[in-house]
Amino acid sequence: MKSRSNWTRRLALTAALALPLAWTAGVQAAEPVKIGYAIAQTGPFAPIADSQIKAYQLWAKQIEEQGGLDVAGEKRPIEFVVYDDQSDFGKIPGIYEKLITDDEVDLLLAPWGTPFHFAVAGVLERYSFPMVGNTAASVQLRDLAPGNIWFPTSAIPDRIAEELVKLLEAEGVTSVAVNTLQLPFSQEVKTFLIPALQKAGIEILVDEEYAPGTRDMTATLTMIKRTQPDGILALAYPPDAITYMNQARELDVTAPVQLILIGPSASFFRDMFGADLDGVMTVGHWSPQKSDWAKAKPFYDAYVAMHGERPDYLDSALAYTSLEILQQAVAKVGLDKDKLRETIAGETFDTINGPVRFDGVENAETPTMLLQIQGDNLEIVWPPGEATQPVKEKAPWSQ
Amino acid sequence: MRVAAAFVAALALGLAYPALVGDYLLGVGLSFLMWVALAQSWVLLSGMTGYISLGHAVFYGLGAYVMALLWMVLPLWLAIPIAGLAAGLLALVLGYPCLRVRGPYFVILTFGVAEFVKYVVVAIEAGLGKSGRLLFGGPSLETLFTIMLVLALVATAATYLVRRSRFGVALRTIREEETAAETIGISTAQIKVAAFVLSALIPGMVGAVMVLRSTYFEPLQVFNPFLSFTIVTMAIIGGSDDAPGPLLGALFLVGLTELLWANAPQLYMIILGALLIGFVLFLPEGLAGRLRLRPKGQYPRGQDP
Amino acid sequence: MDILLSGQLLLATLVLGSVYALVAMGLNLIYGTMRLLNVAHGELVMIGAYVAFWAFTWANISPLISLFAAMALTAGLGWATYRFLVRGMLASGQVMQRIEANSLLIFFGLSIILQNLVSLAFTANERAYAYLDQVVRFGDISIGADRLVILAISLAVSLAAILFFRYSMTGLAMRALIEQREAAALVGIERDRVSQLVFVLGFALAGLAGALISMTEQISPFSGFPFTIAAFVVIILGGLGNLYGGLIGAFLLAAIEVYGVALTSSAYRSILVYGVFIAVLLWRPQGLLGGKRLS
Repeated sequence: MKSRSNWTRRLALTAALALPLAWTAGVQAAEPVKIGYAIAQTGPFAPIADSQIKAYQLWAKQIEEQGGLDVAGEKRPIEFVVYDDQSDFGKIPGIYEKLITDDEVDLLLAPWGTPFHFAVAGVLERYSFPMVGNTAASVQLRDLAPGNIWFPTSAIPDRIAEELVKLLEAEGVTSVAVNTLQLPFSQEVKTFLIPALQKAGIEILVDEEYAPGTRDMTATLTMIKRTQPDGILALAYPPDAITYMNQARELDVTAPVQLILIGPSASFFRDMFGADLDGVMTVGHWSPQKSDWAKAKPFYDAYVAMHGERPDYLDSALAYTSLEILQQAVAKVGLDKDKLRETIAGETFDTINGPVRFDGVENAETPTMLLQIQGDNLEIVWPPGEATQPVKEKAPWSQ
Repeated sequence: MRVAAAFVAALALGLAYPALVGDYLLGVGLSFLMWVALAQSWVLLSGMTGYISLGHAVFYGLGAYVMALLWMVLPLWLAIPIAGLAAGLLALVLGYPCLRVRGPYFVILTFGVAEFVKYVVVAIEAGLGKSGRLLFGGPSLETLFTIMLVLALVATAATYLVRRSRFGVALRTIREEETAAETIGISTAQIKVAAFVLSALIPGMVGAVMVLRSTYFEPLQVFNPFLSFTIVTMAIIGGSDDAPGPLLGALFLVGLTELLWANAPQLYMIILGALLIGFVLFLPEGLAGRLRLRPKGQYPRGQDP
Repeated sequence: MDILLSGQLLLATLVLGSVYALVAMGLNLIYGTMRLLNVAHGELVMIGAYVAFWAFTWANISPLISLFAAMALTAGLGWATYRFLVRGMLASGQVMQRIEANSLLIFFGLSIILQNLVSLAFTANERAYAYLDQVVRFGDISIGADRLVILAISLAVSLAAILFFRYSMTGLAMRALIEQREAAALVGIERDRVSQLVFVLGFALAGLAGALISMTEQISPFSGFPFTIAAFVVIILGGLGNLYGGLIGAFLLAAIEVYGVALTSSAYRSILVYGVFIAVLLWRPQGLLGGKRLS
């Protein structure tokens, strides 16, 4: 009698002692979630990809502060596996194959840039590995089979062209000058813009293209100045966007409506031109000014606090949004690929960019928008339903 | 005959390789074969004649463009050779005027030509309203690997055979003493152009294959000066006088890449730069030269056996 | 087409040409005296630009002052390059056999090292700042004050260079080295010392160009390469080693870019530039002013 109750008591005691021990051991042995990606760390795209890297880093820090990534209820630390694609998308298939088969990552993040996303798509298909894309924008994205890749961006060229023309009509613009850089994104926008302008009856006074590497735009700008259009649409990126701004300012080429396709959403661009950028419009679909999006301003503040510079309103915002989507999906269903696929494809996610939901590969919730620099801020000015501020006229140059 | 056996063995190993390894190592193998094919072709021209081409990416790029244009229009087994022929044709057209230029001018000229063709293609694509081309539904990695294996073996065989042929002697005479060669009746212009065209065929086909790997064509990426520089680097490191050189150079560089690039990309690039400097200064005959992997009695002038 | 006659285009050509002239001068000097193809030239320009950028951003120092620091730094790099790299090259018989090709590769290695060192140190992020960006007007022609300053300084430096090579002993020694390398030793010119100075001077000029250019362009560790290309196009056009030729080549290149584009279309800008480059190499490789002479 006594021995049995002793034995039972000893068992209970051991169990009572062992349980917390096992629990601690279990927590400490929580395997990290391996997250892999390639990004341009060297080469000509490294400067531009930087704002995406910084968004990834911010997210990583926040996950750490939260005690780990929530994987279907269990919090686990994260571990990154990062490779340099050397600004060469030809290297992407090899790198992502390595990440999947050799490093055996649990999750994948996207590289920077449209062609880079295209290069990953094939690999994702082959391994049925879902990944949320970010910094890619092309109508050709729609040709990709859905199921393993999604694009939260709404800055797709044909829709940009459409919305831009609507904005021009709303502003009473009757004539424009279009100056296009011969690179895929800007060219795609132009391909849709020209017919849309013609259809709306807006006169195209100047339609010029220029090769990458152009250092001087005096001839084109002089032509534009002479024709005095209501709107000047510079389908450019840095560094030629910088040349354009400098020379447009120098030659006093101005118009009430001005757009620079890519550039004004980046921190260094705004530092360089300061007040002269006031009133310039650009492509984007995010702004911390949008109070409906509760997470937008905190993201902006956290980014500035961590990196000492403003986020890029296009690339940084998109990168972070793609991470939020992934994070929420993983929190819901864990790391199983099929479940993740289902969740990402079907759910609506609450992100710094408002609600995001995918229809096929595209984002069906976020409208295509246009931003404008007003004072110190970059505001959403189109479409009117989403705008944080109305469109304002571009004032003449400050000198 | 030992050499023939080596080729057969390489072919057999290469054909078996895809079945033996996973996708990642297959990709690495593909890269290795690509560099071998490119470097061997380069050595055929620049190693043998001394006319250093810094624009070989132009043939690679043109091959890639032809493939992008013919994609879905012609079957692969036609498109790839056509890409090679297009590159050869370009070399023929460029050969006579360009090879009249000597020394450093030729080097800079090849670079300029590559850039020129690049921007012409950019303009053509812009004119066609095309902004990058998606090439979906391409062949599997195994197929690409096998095609590249054939290209690499052919390129190596070509360099090996040329090196030991009368054609090769003529080429090397041009390298050592071009004026003297002309005096004794060698029609240097024709020979140089022939080497130029030969050195373009394989890179054209290589470009056609690799663009399918990345499934996207963009002129600024395929006509990349860095590609040209890497080919030259590989040949210098490995040795630019004979077939084993590019093999060693490619092996070395791919090995170095695998070791370093993953963990320290900028450091990798810095080491690459330092190696390049080191090899040119201290080991200009390359690894092959250092390992004495050259045919007997055929040392370039000025170097002891 | 009356745009072609506008003073604005002419001014644009002058300004662009002055930038090219400054960038190419150092390269011309090094190639002319030593037949070395310094493809790392653009990286030195980039380093000069970073010096000016950080001086302005951290300490609010005007680039017109920090350019001296930039020049000092790149001159130091020039000294080190000569001492450790070039001497080694010149000593090796094998390397000298194909000096142009080999020097190209060595300097290419150097350029990769420089690009990635800077990238490690400062991240690859693009940098830019605004200084002297007020617009200055003459009648109906306008130009940014920063570009005007670049124009003025490069013309001044070019003039100084021409005088230097004409009248100073060191300058004459350098010319002797270009024109008659072997004979120069016979008349007692210390080739090693003069060559060293050439490197120091050539790199210093690149640093100067970079510091000035940083006012108007964005910089990143990889922004040097286009300047190397431009410098080569300029010195090929004008003739390798020919200083006057370098000036003419620079303005010619600028003219092609500005007027060629006005005549045809901006879409053809790079095709025109490289087309002329190839044409000169094919038809007159010694350059339009020909020959290995500094003046």
